[in-house]
Amino acid sequence: MINLLTRLGGWMARWLSLLGALARFSFGGARAAVRLPRAGQDVVVRVTLNQIRFTAVHAIGLVLLLSGILSFLVISQAVRELGQLGASELIGTLMVVAIVRELGPLITALAVVGRSGTAIAAELATNTVMGEVRALQGMGIDPRQYLVLPRFIGAVASIFALLVLFDIVAIGAGFAAAAINGMTGSRYAEIVLRSLSARDVLLTVAKALALGVIVGIVPSYFGLSVRRAATEIPVAVSRATVASIVGVFLCSALFVLLG
Amino acid sequence: MTAPLVFEDVPLNLRAATACSLTVPAHHTIAVLGDDASGVDRLGGYVLGLEAPPAGRVLVFDTDIGSLPDPERLAFRRRVGYLPAGDGLLQNLTLRDNIALPLRFGTAASSREIDGRVNVMVVAVRLGSAADRRPATANEEERRRAALARAIAFDPGLLVLEQPFDGVTARAAAELLEVARGGETAEGARRAILITGHELPAVVQRRCDRLYRLTRAGALELETV
Repeated sequence: MINLLTRLGGWMARWLSLLGALARFSFGGARAAVRLPRAGQDVVVRVTLNQIRFTAVHAIGLVLLLSGILSFLVISQAVRELGQLGASELIGTLMVVAIVRELGPLITALAVVGRSGTAIAAELATNTVMGEVRALQGMGIDPRQYLVLPRFIGAVASIFALLVLFDIVAIGAGFAAAAINGMTGSRYAEIVLRSLSARDVLLTVAKALALGVIVGIVPSYFGLSVRRAATEIPVAVSRATVASIVGVFLCSALFVLLG
Repeated sequence: MTAPLVFEDVPLNLRAATACSLTVPAHHTIAVLGDDASGVDRLGGYVLGLEAPPAGRVLVFDTDIGSLPDPERLAFRRRVGYLPAGDGLLQNLTLRDNIALPLRFGTAASSREIDGRVNVMVVAVRLGSAADRRPATANEEERRRAALARAIAFDPGLLVLEQPFDGVTARAAAELLEVARGGETAEGARRAILITGHELPAVVQRRCDRLYRLTRAGALELETV
């Protein structure tokens, strides 16, 4: 029993230590961002746009696919099953609560972690191993300004944009599923709109921003935490992915508790 | 006038107890050579405060850079030109953008002014049309030229060059050293330079004011140039 408690304590201590390190890393990054000169801002904007192109624009197809299929399957089944029970009204709640508010942010964030979080961690770890980060520091450039800030802004903006897209496509695919299963379009729209409140929209936006922060910070932190050996790169990518996924799920759970 | 760079009782080889003192006076070019086990690779990191020496202190322009808080230390490094081992060029930028990078993040100059300054640097190191290539498509010599241009972008009074001439011809090495010296004054080179590495071409050794050999025991031995 004591052994189990010791291991549990060690595990908790490691996670708390990681949380502290991530907080220090984030605050340090925020302070560095404030000190950016004008010409440096231009560089950061250029790199950020490049990051958004990779993280958001190149992921549109994947998000369309995931959102469309998920919504189509869920609403198809719901119209059939709930219709038999005379509870078609619940389709709106299902669409808004389950897909728009919960699964949408979760799946979008996981897709971005899989596509871009891994790429960010691998890129920054390679920068470190190749001596580029050391060179930046040697030139008096804070690596968080040039390497982390654009990826952070890019991840937050991309997750937000992809989530909006996810929700629009989900509602559209739900419309198609409902129509195929015999529900009229106006009825579907009425049920969904009645279930959708301003609070749902605000919660979804807040969740998108929070998940964007996690996906923007965690892979960067692990990418920059390697030392000099190339063998550390896959380890850093793996840790970044696991920590990001855990962070995304914990954040979603926290929103459910707070909401 | 005090020396731009002073090592005071710093152990350079962590496995040896010997502490070394070394001064790089203004207008002097000093080379410290040694093999991988000698600890010569750490010198540059100590000068820039990238690593802290286990004992003693390193004074750069009379300042113990290791004692500065982070933001001040970053700003202070702009007074020292640095060419790291392996050049440290960012692979996703062209050589020209690499040269511009410290100016963009370290000055309040406009993009137009920076572009003008970079054009001057490109001509000074004779980079030519290679400036628009990325490091992966440039040859070793072009990368060294770009890395040197980046190191002198702020026109620093002190330059730290780590293995700067590896992979370049003796002629190109001599030419790069002249660019690094920044011209001549009555007292010698315009800049103070510390070169570290494993070996130097003979033509470069002759241009050094002093050349030290760092032994595996951690002792600095003055060599006759």
